[in-house]
Amino acid sequence: MEESIYGSHKGAMEDVMNIILSSIEELRERMTKEFGSDPVEHCLARIKSEESMREKCRRQQIPETTESALETIHDAIGIRVVCAFISDVYSVRDHLRSMEKVEVIEEKDYIKQAKPNGYRSLHMILRYDHKYYVEIQLRTISMDTWAALEHHIHYKKTASDNDKLIIAELKRCADELASTDMSMQTIRDMIRKDL
Amino acid sequence: MKILLAEDTADLNKVVTQMLEMQGFDVDSALDGQKALDLALSNGYDEIILDIMMPKLSGLEVLKEIRGRNIVTPVLMLTAKAEVDDRVEGLDAGADDYLTKPFAMKELLARVKALTRRGSQYAAKEISFGDITLKSDSLELISSNTVRLSIKEFSLMQALLLNQEHPVDNNYLLEHVWSDEEDVAEDTIWLYVNFLQGKLEYINSNVTIEGDKGGPFQVIVNE
Repeated sequence: MEESIYGSHKGAMEDVMNIILSSIEELRERMTKEFGSDPVEHCLARIKSEESMREKCRRQQIPETTESALETIHDAIGIRVVCAFISDVYSVRDHLRSMEKVEVIEEKDYIKQAKPNGYRSLHMILRYDHKYYVEIQLRTISMDTWAALEHHIHYKKTASDNDKLIIAELKRCADELASTDMSMQTIRDMIRKDL
Repeated sequence: MKILLAEDTADLNKVVTQMLEMQGFDVDSALDGQKALDLALSNGYDEIILDIMMPKLSGLEVLKEIRGRNIVTPVLMLTAKAEVDDRVEGLDAGADDYLTKPFAMKELLARVKALTRRGSQYAAKEISFGDITLKSDSLELISSNTVRLSIKEFSLMQALLLNQEHPVDNNYLLEHVWSDEEDVAEDTIWLYVNFLQGKLEYINSNVTIEGDKGGPFQVIVNE
């Protein structure tokens, strides 16, 4: 069998993934106790598959080595945290920033500054213990639903006259969802203040 | 419905004011152009009646000043019969209608009613303030980011932007934003102010809405 592109690191990478996941788990428990609601709807985590990592190396025209996979490419470990409300996204972000041994390499706030197509998410690249990079995507449920649908147009087999309309309508939906997300946030803040 | 009447002939001012009040309008009257401008900048009106010839500031100067400040309240100009150029200049500067003196009270009343009926359609397609743009055709509130507002949020934002020079009280908002609904209380207005405030922050705007529960409210640009 061909040697893994991750060399002997796969076990350690899984440990890092689990450390971050269980730290998010702690935050969930703490906030659920304190506010009566869980900030996180669900979490997805994965180590990028052997095949897609090699494919990414080829696409970026870099050698298919462990160094490329762990140093040049930063999403070998990926975690997506889907939250109920916008403020929860920032709570999780703040929590990750304050974690021990975690260094924030990059943070891109596509919630405050949405992409032109309407994509919203908060992206972070973390580095754990000076070793492994972790890519984090934080978003609300509605942003996640939108991203899942938007993803499909990239996989359409053929371009059609409809594409322009679909892209424009997706953008409109994104802006409406963003508006509703914020209204839900405002209502929750009011309820919490009254209680 | 609130009307600003600017007419320097005291007797005529008094007669018109009384007649409009009898018809159920709420009237603020001014006897010179400066007073009219001050009132127009510090209150929200549904219509403004401007005499052209007035001391301190002419009706035309008042009109240009308020239109320059995004106030799109319908304006009826009162002009002397001979002053064709004034009428043209008035309409060019943004007046919506004119009436030549002397006029019949009946006609003045009919024109005032016609203008207040059309009032809301006179709103601009796009209003800009600070770093935001509010678009009426798409209900978009745009800064570095865009959100789509609900109809009521849009109407509230529009009311605040059209009255950017002064605070707007709850009564004005009930009459102009929630006129089609009964049982709207201060809580509803406060919730919608909070919706908008949240969305302004969300699109990263430097505009905020100032005011506490119960009003009044005013849009402010934070430099």
